[in-house]
Amino acid sequence: MKPIYKQPGRFLGVLALGLALVLPWAGSQAAHDIRGITGPTFNLYAFPFNMNLPDGSSVHMWGFGDIDAGANASFHRDPDDPTGPFIQYGAGYGVPQYPAPTLIVNQNEAVTINLSNFGVPQPVSIVVTGHQVTAMGSGVEGLVTQASPDKNSLPPGTPNTVTYSFTASEPGTYIYHSLNGANPGLHAEMGLQGVLIVRPTGYNATSNRIAYNEAGTDYEQEFLYLLTEVDPDLHFEVERGHFNHSTNSDRLATIWFVNGRVFPDLFQGDFNTLFPNQPYQALALAHPGDKVLVREVNAGHDPHPFHHHGENMFFIGRDGRALSSDGLTADLGRSDNTLNSAPKQAVDMIWTWTGKDLNWDIYGTTTGPLGRPDLAHSCSNPACPDGNGDGFDDGTGDACWDVSTREYCPDHNKEFPVNLPGVADLSLGGWWSGSPFLGDTGNLPPGEGGLNPFGGYFLVWHSHAEKELTTFDIFPGGSLSSMVILPAAAPID
Amino acid sequence: MNKLIKKALPSAIALALLGGANLVSAAVNVQCPGDTDGDAVIDSPDPDHPNAVCKHLIAGDSFSVMSDGNPMYMFGFGEQTGTDPAVVIGDGILDAEWPGPTIELDQGDEFYLSLSNVGTVIRPDLFDPHTVHFHGFPNAATVFDGVPEVSISINHGATLTYYYNIVEPGTYIYHCHVEASEHMEMGMLANLYVHPQQDVTGCDPLTNCPVATRKGGTDPGAPTGYTYNDNDGTTAWDVEEPIQVSSFDPDFHDASLFVQPLPFAALEAKYPMINGRGYPDTIIPGDLPAPTDNMAPVAGHPPGKVTGNPGEVLNNGTPVQTEDSVITVTQGQTLLLRLSNVSIDRFYTLKAQGLPMKIIGTGSRQMRGQTGKNIYRDVSSVNFGGGEIHDVLIDTADVAVGTYFLHAAELHQMSNLTQLDGGMITEIEVLTP
Repeated sequence: MKPIYKQPGRFLGVLALGLALVLPWAGSQAAHDIRGITGPTFNLYAFPFNMNLPDGSSVHMWGFGDIDAGANASFHRDPDDPTGPFIQYGAGYGVPQYPAPTLIVNQNEAVTINLSNFGVPQPVSIVVTGHQVTAMGSGVEGLVTQASPDKNSLPPGTPNTVTYSFTASEPGTYIYHSLNGANPGLHAEMGLQGVLIVRPTGYNATSNRIAYNEAGTDYEQEFLYLLTEVDPDLHFEVERGHFNHSTNSDRLATIWFVNGRVFPDLFQGDFNTLFPNQPYQALALAHPGDKVLVREVNAGHDPHPFHHHGENMFFIGRDGRALSSDGLTADLGRSDNTLNSAPKQAVDMIWTWTGKDLNWDIYGTTTGPLGRPDLAHSCSNPACPDGNGDGFDDGTGDACWDVSTREYCPDHNKEFPVNLPGVADLSLGGWWSGSPFLGDTGNLPPGEGGLNPFGGYFLVWHSHAEKELTTFDIFPGGSLSSMVILPAAAPID
Repeated sequence: MNKLIKKALPSAIALALLGGANLVSAAVNVQCPGDTDGDAVIDSPDPDHPNAVCKHLIAGDSFSVMSDGNPMYMFGFGEQTGTDPAVVIGDGILDAEWPGPTIELDQGDEFYLSLSNVGTVIRPDLFDPHTVHFHGFPNAATVFDGVPEVSISINHGATLTYYYNIVEPGTYIYHCHVEASEHMEMGMLANLYVHPQQDVTGCDPLTNCPVATRKGGTDPGAPTGYTYNDNDGTTAWDVEEPIQVSSFDPDFHDASLFVQPLPFAALEAKYPMINGRGYPDTIIPGDLPAPTDNMAPVAGHPPGKVTGNPGEVLNNGTPVQTEDSVITVTQGQTLLLRLSNVSIDRFYTLKAQGLPMKIIGTGSRQMRGQTGKNIYRDVSSVNFGGGEIHDVLIDTADVAVGTYFLHAAELHQMSNLTQLDGGMITEIEVLTP
């Protein structure tokens, strides 16, 4: 196989993709963790900001920010290199953000969130799905709990911090958001919403990556898919101080987000400075065979049918509870390729792409249509156990997959099944590598392609209410994100 | 409008035949093992590909007609399997079907799907490429996934052959993914389903699941088929029906017809449909007649909305709404509804008052947990959004003989725009044994 990802020029080109390739070439099974800030104590503030969209417009938002400016941002390191360096994403990041900071805590911790309103013109509160939260401090009585009033509305020096306390008794994925004011949906609509992740007691970032304590919830890669939507007209009214001009009957969302960004911004990396208030990417990455934990959360007001290309996912948890009949195994989860994502619902699922049974060699062959001598490669388990001759392995796990390339060996050396039309007969996507083979690139006309120098397989993950692939009436945009299958040796962190 | 179309048509056809912008290389080119004359029909089976199945679709445009008489300009897929490749483009013009041709496969098939782009003759200003996205295909590779932003799509006058090794039975969808919000609203959507290997082999012990009659099974207890390789007979069915729910926004389609900016943000489903028809057209067996321009005023348009000539036959007289939703089952039989939702802006809930529903599959997979436990759900309604698929069994053993309605539980969706008692309804007739 042509070692294209070793060429420095293409390596640099990957930055355009948002793939954070800071690790040296290692050939190891690196892994991605959801970015966030760790507890058990969080100090958040609320403040308004304006957020730019790719069509050039901006939307007025209210956001939560981290007073500690990422001092407790989560650390990640290569699980195959447990003595290697820690990398901290989001250190120094403290602006108000959309969505709110992802809070990461451990099961059974006593969690404290101190909230101070630095400038949102209405008292702001925090409610946390699935938890019994106690509020105390210097707030005012709000709709359902204490709320922090705008400090600018108080005499100088008046305390306005509210402390929310709870015990993170069950692992899983939860939503926290503000719920206050005459229009109870306004605060979440304006952006005062984020995700809380509770790691199970048995979790270890390098040796035991699990979503729940139940079996069947282990994973290699972890990604957040936070779905929200915005009605910009409502935000324009709020920006002008007309807090009561919009009611539920007027609301019609026309911008759809994943992790607070729209296509194509959401392909760019975490904490990209192009998007100062939208720190989180929504480009998922995996190698063939990786178990990918997707924490898919709908924090919006509308339902979204979210579709995953490439393979089905297996549901393992919902709203902070494993889908289990016996507390031992996540045995009640089903398979689907589209999540019926209801508002304020959080679903945890495992997605795995193996390339199995395509009936052609994903790394290409030396003969047949599109064959090339430089595509020659080996597969180290060509005779995997298939006693009954059904073409599948006999349930012995990874026996059929090459250890280093993750190729499914029964498909090894099978020629590509058809000839592809010439480039003049094709329209070419920007993320098309020019080759159907994984880790390969082909010759493309000038100005075409170029956004996929790794030869990754882009498998889009998007709302299947295709109207939602627009940003304020412009296609393409909205909640069109992607998973990228990368060659096994490509680093993911 | 009338004169424009009559004069524009021959020149646009000539343009399409020449391949439009891609004059140099464009050609219809079907790839199908064992097919010697390029019509996607296997003439002598290729020993290297004994299970090859081929199909040739065109992507183009046409008109369909709503149940209130309102003609809708649309994009879609059309069936051209068996057509001489030299005449496919001419035949394919104004032949887009609504929904697209149903694709029915067996597990183990090697499926070669050729897609030829015949252009949009009513909109000669457009040069849109097209794709097929096999929605739910397992372990999909980007090259055959049909997403233009990250893959390839086929230009006017040329053919792209997709290859799918069919290993997972279940109910799927196929649709075009180019400018997805537009092409899917315009009608590039269709049913696709795969029968399991268990139909051929039965399972062990055979008393639980004998070989299916659709594959030659003769056991008196044998069902017509199974939905999945369940190994316990619990997904057996006697009658199956694909039910694809969708909707058109007439303002969007009219904007496309009259070359106006497309209203994405304002898009709203106003013609709810099952398999491309609103009730009562859903229960007309077979093809609907070729669409005609509206005789009476409809939805703010005068008679003759498209051509200026009320009653003029559209699509050169070709019927394009070929999928009825007539469901007839004998009491005691089990009915399989292959439900899919391809609406691009809203969720629907289907119910059939008086009939028990059991969901046995979601997202093209049997509802079975990681440890092998069947986790079927007995329900009285199914709520689903765009892209969602449910396999639903209705056991009629304890059901009274009679006619039942399968309809949207959002009762206001039982309308064709302003015409009531229409929209998302069809009938299930349970007959005396």
